[in-house]
Amino acid sequence: MKSAIQSTWKKRLLPVCAICVLLAAAVLLFTSRKPDDSLELADNATMGILPGVDLEQRQAELQQMLDESMISFSINTSPVFETGGAEGNLMLENPANNAKLLVVEIYIDDTQELIYQSKALPAGSYIENTKLDKLLEPGSYDATAYFKAYREADHSYIGQVGADLTLSILS
Amino acid sequence: MKQKRLFSFLTVVLVAVLFSTSAFAAGSYKEKDLPIGSSSEVLMVGEIEPTLMSVTIPSYVPFHISRSVEGDNKVISPRVVITSRSGVPINIDVAYTTVNLSGLKGTTWSDSQYVGENQVAIGFQPETLSNQLPTTLEQTKWLQANSPQYLNLTSLNPYGTSTLYVVGTLGAAVPEDSSFTVTPIFVVSKA
Repeated sequence: MKSAIQSTWKKRLLPVCAICVLLAAAVLLFTSRKPDDSLELADNATMGILPGVDLEQRQAELQQMLDESMISFSINTSPVFETGGAEGNLMLENPANNAKLLVVEIYIDDTQELIYQSKALPAGSYIENTKLDKLLEPGSYDATAYFKAYREADHSYIGQVGADLTLSILS
Repeated sequence: MKQKRLFSFLTVVLVAVLFSTSAFAAGSYKEKDLPIGSSSEVLMVGEIEPTLMSVTIPSYVPFHISRSVEGDNKVISPRVVITSRSGVPINIDVAYTTVNLSGLKGTTWSDSQYVGENQVAIGFQPETLSNQLPTTLEQTKWLQANSPQYLNLTSLNPYGTSTLYVVGTLGAAVPEDSSFTVTPIFVVSKA
């Protein structure tokens, strides 16, 4: 008796299920069909304005890069050393608004000899008096101090600027 | 009674402090009476303060160059503002410019605005109209490639500022899909 009822239900249910599947397939086919006159959209296109077209935008990007490269520094243009081995008032400063590390190298103009190299100065610090790395004879020397800037985060090199100075070794 | 004594004591202390202060002040000035017609030596101590140079200046200047830019100047440049916090006038010079054209095959450097088909030239120009890129190449100071130059770009008054732009031009055969580097070293000196 039970199996007779089950087979009757199966007989009724199968056609209903088949109709439902056919209907679903028809709906899917209808919705996915593209119009005959449509163009195929590029799958490698990026939405937005092409970089480089907007002059002001390009200038703004360059300005941002330039701002990162700005170096502020202070130095005494005429430091004096009592003797070649004594401390002199170089007065090197890396101001607090710099947000980068500075390394200072001083070269004698005539010989291009490196006579001083600092360790990295953090932003907001200064060296007022220091000794040179090389012993110089008494006299006056034209020299150039190069301020080399490095990023604080990864110590990568940014760039450098120079400053002319005249060193005096008194005796 | 106690309050009266305390008040008297405080008054005495106050008077003593006042007198001692004025005595100290008088001592520091070393006052003395001079009869009319006489003379006296005065010690004046002058301390020479070092001349500090304090400047904000770019360590590199990024720029774009394209033939599609209108006008004679083909460079899109940021606004290069140099600021002095020094009490003395200063000069900004370019001492040396490292140029690397290896990315531009067959391209050479020019020291002036007259470029050949395969040449490129870059220089600096002072700002004439506020916030506007120069369109001409007049008043341009041209950079020389890979040689000492000592080119004066600008001079700043004490606590002054100066604004520059990168300008330049390129020949018709210079490839546009490559890049090159121009690295001038700015040197600050007392004017």
